[in-house]
Order: sequence, then C-alpha cells, then structure tokens
Amino acid sequence: MRYCIPILTLALTLGSCELPPRNDTISKNQTGKAEAQEIEDEEYVMVSTAITMPMYMNRDQRAFKRWGEKMGVKVSILGPADWDVPAQINIIEEVIGTRPTGLLINGTDPAIAQVINKAVDAGIPTVVYDSNIPNARHHAFLGTDWYEIGKMQGEEMVRLINGKGKIGYMGILGMSNMEAGFQGLLDVLKNYPDIEVVGKFDSKASVEQAARISSDLIAAHPDIAGICGFDGPSGPGIALAVKEAGKTGKIKVTTVDGEPEHLQLLKDGTIQLLAAQKRELFTWYGAQFLYDIVHQTNPLSNNDTKAGVTSVPYHVNTGLLRITKENVDNFINE
Amino acid sequence: MVRKIIEERIYSLLALLVVICVVASLTFPSTFPTFENFSQLLLNLSIDTIVAVGMMLLLISGAFDLSVGSVVAFAGCITAYLMTSLQIPVPLAITFGLLSTICIGYINGYLIAYKGINPMIQTLAMMGIVRGAALMLSGSGVQNLPYWFNAIGQSKLLGIQMPIWYMLVTVALFTFLLNKTIYFRQYYYIGGNEKAADLSGIRVDKVKMMGFVISAALAGIAGILLSSRLGAALPTMGRGLELRVITAVILGGASLSGGYGKIPGALLGALFMGIVANIMVISRVSGYWQEIILGIILIGTLWLDKALQKQYSGRK
Amino acid sequence: MTHLKLHRISKAFPGVKALQAVDLDIQPGEIHALCGENGAGKSTLMNILAGNLQPDEGNVTINDQPVTIHSPQDAFGKGISIVYQHLSLVENLSVAENIFANQHPTSGWGIIQYDELYQQTELFLRQLQLDKISPRMLVSRLSPAEKQLVEVAKALSKKPSVFILDEPTASLAERETRILFDILLKLKGEGVSIIYISHRLEEVFLLADRISILKDGNYQGTFKKEDLTKDELIRRMVGREIQSLKTESYVQDEILLSVKNLTGERFRGITFQLHRGEILGLAGLIGAGRTEIARALFGADKVISGEVVLRNERLHANHPAECISKGMAYVPEERKTLGLFPEMSIQDNMIVGKLKNALHGRFYNPAKAKQLAIDSTVKLGISTPGVQQKVGNLSGGNQQKVVLAKWLLTNPDVLIVDEPTHGIDVGAKFEVYEILKTLAGQGRGIIMISSDLPELLGICDRIVVIKQGSLVGEFSRNEATEEKILAMASN
Repeated sequence: MRYCIPILTLALTLGSCELPPRNDTISKNQTGKAEAQEIEDEEYVMVSTAITMPMYMNRDQRAFKRWGEKMGVKVSILGPADWDVPAQINIIEEVIGTRPTGLLINGTDPAIAQVINKAVDAGIPTVVYDSNIPNARHHAFLGTDWYEIGKMQGEEMVRLINGKGKIGYMGILGMSNMEAGFQGLLDVLKNYPDIEVVGKFDSKASVEQAARISSDLIAAHPDIAGICGFDGPSGPGIALAVKEAGKTGKIKVTTVDGEPEHLQLLKDGTIQLLAAQKRELFTWYGAQFLYDIVHQTNPLSNNDTKAGVTSVPYHVNTGLLRITKENVDNFINE
Repeated sequence: MVRKIIEERIYSLLALLVVICVVASLTFPSTFPTFENFSQLLLNLSIDTIVAVGMMLLLISGAFDLSVGSVVAFAGCITAYLMTSLQIPVPLAITFGLLSTICIGYINGYLIAYKGINPMIQTLAMMGIVRGAALMLSGSGVQNLPYWFNAIGQSKLLGIQMPIWYMLVTVALFTFLLNKTIYFRQYYYIGGNEKAADLSGIRVDKVKMMGFVISAALAGIAGILLSSRLGAALPTMGRGLELRVITAVILGGASLSGGYGKIPGALLGALFMGIVANIMVISRVSGYWQEIILGIILIGTLWLDKALQKQYSGRK
Repeated sequence: MTHLKLHRISKAFPGVKALQAVDLDIQPGEIHALCGENGAGKSTLMNILAGNLQPDEGNVTINDQPVTIHSPQDAFGKGISIVYQHLSLVENLSVAENIFANQHPTSGWGIIQYDELYQQTELFLRQLQLDKISPRMLVSRLSPAEKQLVEVAKALSKKPSVFILDEPTASLAERETRILFDILLKLKGEGVSIIYISHRLEEVFLLADRISILKDGNYQGTFKKEDLTKDELIRRMVGREIQSLKTESYVQDEILLSVKNLTGERFRGITFQLHRGEILGLAGLIGAGRTEIARALFGADKVISGEVVLRNERLHANHPAECISKGMAYVPEERKTLGLFPEMSIQDNMIVGKLKNALHGRFYNPAKAKQLAIDSTVKLGISTPGVQQKVGNLSGGNQQKVVLAKWLLTNPDVLIVDEPTHGIDVGAKFEVYEILKTLAGQGRGIIMISSDLPELLGICDRIVVIKQGSLVGEFSRNEATEEKILAMASN
C-alpha cells in the first residue's frame, strides 16, 4: 500500500513526459509582422559572444550601431564578455521571449542551430553572420569563406618564399572555421613539394601564446621561411617573436585581420600579408536584410509571409580584403 | 522575524528576490513576468545550480573546486565522443562519462585531503588538464548527438523542460542529505573546525575527499545535461562557470572559511544571478556591464550583510 | 637608564582574574627573575608589557613617566623587547631577514641592500658570539636551539633597554644555555634591565639579582636572591588550599588501560597502567611531552613503537575515530582550536562525538540531538539561554563542560583530560573536579594532564611525572607533595 502513491506519481510523471520532436521539420512559421508597427518601436538585437573583443567592437558592433542611427531604429548588442557559446545561447533564448523585431546572430558554433530554429519558429526574422550554421533555418547568412582565407595566405606565402622552405601555422584549434582555413592553406601548399610544413599550433587566442610558439618554432627551425596565423592575436604574437629573433622580413608572415596593430606591423615590414574580413558588411547588411524582411521591401509574391518566401539573398559571401604593403596606407586612419 | 531574516542569508536573499521580481514585473509587465520567460530563466540557470550544489557542499567543508567548469566540458565531450566516434550506446556512454568525472574528483580529493596539496592549486591545475582533455576529445565540438541522448535534456514534463526538474531533484536530494544524514552533517563540522572534527572522531580526510568526488560528479551530470540540451558537446562549455558558481554559492550564504551554508542557498544564489542577468537582457543592458554589475552586487550584498549583522549584534 | 615600574596592575579575562594588583619594579642593569606556576599570570604580565594586552587597572611608568603601551610596535619604541616562548620566526626567510624584519638597510629607493644586510647581521651575530650561525641560512634549516638564539638576536637587534625572556632555555642544551647567559650578563653590564621568566629554578638562582613571585595572579613579593632558598621559593609559588576536594577513591582492581614502552616523536619508553575508577595524573613541565603522549594514545599522533592494551585488547589506532569507538575520549588543552566548533551551536558541539546518538531510524533528528543536549546542560550545570546558542559565546568554564558533555554522550571507558581547568574560573574548576570524580565513581578511568599541581594533588589517585619525554617517577596520592613533584619534574 505504501508504495502505491510513489508508483502512481511515477506513472503519471512518465505519462505526461513530452519528448522533443524527432526531426527538425516544424512547419515554417510566418515571419514578419510589419505593417502596423511604427518604425521607432522596432528593435533589432544582435547577440554575439566575447563582445568585448576589440575587433568585434570596432567593426561588427560599430557598423551595426551606425546602421541603427541611419535607419532611426533601436539597436541592442547583447552577449557574454567572454567566449562562452552556451551563455550566448541562453541570452538568445531569453531575447526570443522579448520578441525583438529582428535578430542578428554571430554564428559562433554549430551548437547554436537549435536556438536559431527556435527564433525562426517564434516568427522572428533571423540572420546569421560570420560563420554559417549547418542544420539551422535562419533566413540569411553573411560571411567569409574561410577556405579562401587559407588559400589567399597560401598563395601569397608561396610567392614570398619562392616555393620552397619550412612553414608553420597556428590558430585556435577546435574551431571549424579555422579548420577550413587550415585546409585552404594546405591545399595550396601540397602542390609545392619543396615546401615543408613543420607544424600546426594552438595560439589559444592569445598574443603571448602565439609569441611563445613562434619563438620556439624559430629556435627549433632556424631556417624557417614563413609563419601563417589564422586568429587575430596570432599576428602581433608572431610579429613579436620574429622581431625579437632579429629576422624581420627574413621570415615571411601572413595572417588575418586588419586591426590598427596589424596594419602597423604590415607597414613596418614585419607582416607581409593580411587577409582581412569585411566584417562591417556582415552586420550592416545583416541588419538591412532583417529590415527588408520585416518591411517586405522587395515583395516576391502577393504575401511573402503566407507564401513562405524570404525576400533577401540567402547566402552572401562578403569577400576578403587583401592588404599588402602597397595598399596598407589606405586602411590606416587619420 | 526580522532577526531571522537578517541572520539567515536564505531568508534575506529570498526577500531581496521578491522585491526584485516585483520591481521588474512592474517595469517590464509584458516581458518579465511570463511563464515563457521564467521557464527560460530557470532552464538557463539549471546547469549552474546543479554545479552550485556540489560547490556549496565543498564550501561548507571549507574547500572549493575551480575545476568544475572544465569538468562540465569534459563530461559532455567524452560522452559525446564515445557515442559518436566509438558508437557506444547512450546509457553506457553516460555511465562512462560520469565515472570519468568521478575519477577526476577522486584525484582532486585524494591529493588535497591526504597529501595536503592546497585546494586552490590542485583544482586550478586540474582545471587546465581537464579542459585540455576535453579539447583533445572533441576538437571543434561534437554535433549530431543521438536522439535519445538529446531527449534527456530536451524533453518536457508538465510543460517544463527536464533540466529544471533535474535541478530541483538535486537541490531537494542534497537538502535532505545535509539535514537528515549524519554522514553529510560531518561537512559542517569539518568546515567549523577541521582539527576539532578530527579529534572528535570524524575521518576528515575521507569525508573531504568524498566532497570533491560529489562535486565533480555533479559537474559531470551538469555537463552531460548541458550537451544534451544543446544537442552538441563543446570544449568551451563551462568557461568561467567555476567563478560564477562560487559567486552564487557565496551569495547563497556560504563562507569561504567554511562551516556555513545551506543547499537551498545554492539555488537561491543562482536564481538571483539568473534573474539579474535576465533583467539585463530584457532591459538590453550591454554585456560589458553584466559582470561589473554582478561584481558590485556581490560586494554590496556581503557588505550589507556584515553591516546588518554588526548593527544587530550591537543592539543585542 | 630606564627604570620600569608596574603599579597595581590588574587584568581579568571572562571568568578568570589573571592578575590582581601586581607590583613590579625593575632597576637598570639588573636581572630580575619572575617565578610562578603555570597560570600564575606571568604570560599575561609579559603581554601587557609587550603591548599585546591592555591592563584593566593600574599603570606602567618608565623613568617615572606614566606610559600606555598600545601595541608591540609601541613597546619597541619604548625600548621594550621580548623573546617569546613560542617562536615568532618566519621559517622560509633567512636568518638575516628574520633578525632585521622591517628594519632592513635600504637604498634611497627603498630597495633592500642584501649585501649590507648580511654584513650587518654577521657583525651582530659575532658580537653575540653566535658566529656559528650563517646570516644567509634559512631559518627552517636551523635546530630548535639555534632558532631560539636567533630569536634572542632578533629581540636584541632593536637595542632594547628592557629585555624580557620567557622560558628561553626550554629548547636549549647546556652549551647554548651558557652562550645565552654570557649574552645576558654582558647586557646587564651595559645597564639593560632584564626580566627573566623560567621554571628552571637553578637558572634563576644562578642568574638573577632579585626574584619576584606570582601565584594565581597575586603578587607574592620581591626578594633578593641571597634572602631566598630554593625550598622557600617553591613554597611561595605553590601551596594553595584545595584540601577540601578529595574525599574518597574509587580505584578498582581491574586494569583498564595498559601502556607498554610507548614511543613517539617527542617521548619514549612510556609505561603505565590505568585501573577502573582511577584518576591518574600526568605531571611535568610545559613541553615535557605529556600532550604528545595523550594524543598518541588517542590515535591522533603517530606511535613509533610500543603497545597499548585496552580491556585486554590490543589497540592499533590510526585515527581518533577508532579509539572513540573502543571507548576512549580526549579533552584537548587548546579548547578553542582543538576542542570546539566555536561558530556552531552547543547542541551541534555536543552531538559530534557520536552523531549516531541523534539518529531516529536511519535519519538525523535535530529534535533528538536537542533533547540530548538539554539533558547534558542540566546534568553538567551548563548555564546558557538555550542549546542553540553559539558555543563561542559561552564562558571558558561552560565551554569546557560542553566538551566534557560531548564525550560523556559517547560513554567512554577511558577519558583523557588535558589541562581541563586551564583558563576557567575557580567555581567552574570545582565543578569540573566534581564531574571527573563522578565519572571515576562510575568505573571509568581518567588520565589527567595538568600543570596546576594543587589540582593534581587534590584529585588524583596516583601521579606520574614526565620529564623531557620520559616517565621519571611515580607517586601515590599519599606520598605526593608539590615540592617533590616540582623537584623531580624540573631537575
């Protein structure tokens, strides 16, 4: 008798359990709810991670804010201060509850697919930028092809070292866009049998770590010909080690990002090539896409919402900036 | 009544939470006091709370564990690795994942309790080791986890997502254990005076070690739940979690010197931080401010606490 | 030259009057010995001079100027320097850095000039004839005797005019003792006033010009060395009236605990037996190894060799838990740091010895713990508003009774009490004696460590004397006198 209640409770509990849907094919919900809304009431929210990173602040966020001012709508930037994908997901989930006009999401990790779908299902126009998220049903994506970044670096490096010598490269290991970049680099280099790749290293997104790896690399291979970097901090890190070894210009350096620090290093000849993303375009056009979805700027049917039509480009490759000694002055402010 | 509120952090925190919720409901009537928002908020803090329960236990005994955040990542990654790369069945993979976190806790506990290594240094070192292991196992993260694994964290019961239930069960279980079993009561004595506890016949080293094992196991459960909820195991999961959890637990009434604290305090501390973060999201306070505000709140709470207690005992 | 005078100094701690109207008058260039039993108030007096404590009444004058010594720094400033019994050195720093702590020679930029530091130290140590000690050596690598001498050097580095030494020879061997005496005689020649506290009466008679005596916080007078014999001194130090205490003995024939050749790190070859109903006293000077023996018996410290037989069963304990389960209990001397959980309630403190007592079925029942605690407070006469009170708020006597209550709830056969009346007032002392007698009457065996000789004589059936880690003698209750015990323990 005394077990009756627990068993009953358990049975009820299990009975009322609701499993998640098997496959992710919920009917496409209506998006856009424009019309009646006043434009001042519109709010576009951007959710990123590591939002205090200077590059994010100077490029992505500044362009997004500039867009907000030009359009006269409210824009908000949210996200954890550190690189914390679960926290980004949590914030997106909480933002969905507040029903913003549009959601601009930094595609940090494939794991955010679910929450993107949740936003889409909630009827919020959703655009992803930077890295594309597989299995997510966002309305548009803007970003860079990382394979191309690797390829651009590889081709320039081959030219710089005349097709022979030792090369090392580094980035944040474990990030899928970096891995794509590495692949692009290796695919170029494999055509040159005289080039020896001496190692792939984890810069852990830190200048110090990148500098340490580079100086170890230079010590172990005094004849190293070039080093490639795939994350922002690795540029200054590699440059520091090369300068300290007194091999400025002898060891060729190609890396990513066009921050002021990188540009200066390129100008003084420590770095030979910067393959930079057009990050401003990610958020500017990302926001514009959201706006165009909401306002149905270019209707493609009698009613795009009912027809299930998204009236903006689905996949945009913003292309790369190729910054070398020749054009660097145009990127330096003042 | 007033005295009880001042003396017991649980009650003062509860009172503060009610005030905050009322103010937030009046300020954001359409977005804050909704079922959707609250279930989301609870879901988001469920992982932290499960870890916080273990941390509370450790802080009661006068120790703490900085490796829990890494253990969260490791547990998710190793379980995911076993399921996807090695095709091991879900229950077996979960068992193995939990066992491995128990091992981590055992190593921490053994070296701290028996070999006298400082808990901060030991768990700091373990934090790095375990995070590295998680990165090695999962690379850029493991996606496409098996359906039944995802069901653990994504199912709903009575309209509420499972991690919230797991959190409530954990809090209830440990509240019961700490109040009602003599084994767990020993943690209060160890935190109160470790030497006196030893001379009173408490096997301080054994019990302390078990504290680290429990803490790591709870972090392991949290990690598996988190990756099940995300449908992916990321090596970056649980970054900074250790400090967030310690903050929550201290808000919830624990003291770094040990001897104080109640398990529900862990939930309330996490709830407090969750609600503050939620209000900041709703009011669109930029992320730069979040940590600053949380830091100020922590210092403010502790200072107020000291001031109130001083004034109160002064009047006595 | 400094002339230090203490006038009617009184100091009370909760429950104890540590000093009552004590006068002391120190002349320049004299060695003034301060004698008294443990707990007579010598340390309190020294702490007042060192600025660690403030007197409740009375005043201190230096050269007829009334002064208040606010802090140790203040004491240094007034030329008072103390060598503590417990070492105050930092183990991981060099000898030089310890000696010149906070007064390193520095360059204009505040950078420590190590070469100069080492040179100064070497010179200084040579002056003190301590040239065997290298200034660069880490203190952790010195022997206890060398550490004590470095401690002396550190105190002297401040060039004091009043120099106080508290049991300086406890860790010194013959040779170092002589070095120390040479230093002291030289300082005396330079006009420094020296206050010398020691249990070793021969040293006192060898060194001192005058001797002041304290007993139970009361001043017993100051005497010229020539006017006093050793016996006279002992008589004035001891001889309190506790006769009323002892009535009957409950010693039974059965041997409860037998200790054979027990050897640990700080004691060796200890052999004794404890009968049912017996109260066995362990007498000896501080640092003789009595506490270490007790801890080893209780499984808290390592035993190197020897055996312990409890009720015909050999005991191999690695942890107090095993001893407790076999029916032993230990009331440690340092009540606050080893005996109590000061921030926890009386109830929690009492139940910890045997948490199982509070089980109701399988689960801990606070109501049951509370009832047991209430019963105990009634039984032992603990005065408190309730058992939920923090134990740290109780008086010393009530705290000690809480510790006793904790062990009584485990129903022990053998109870070891280490300085059970230390720091508690007279009334509570007698209550503790009564409790111990009652326990003996119930057939339990009690080992009592105490530095309070009248107390041992009053309550024990038998007393063994420990000196420098060895058992050196035994007295039945009829043979024992304070003089005999003191003579055996200190010679």
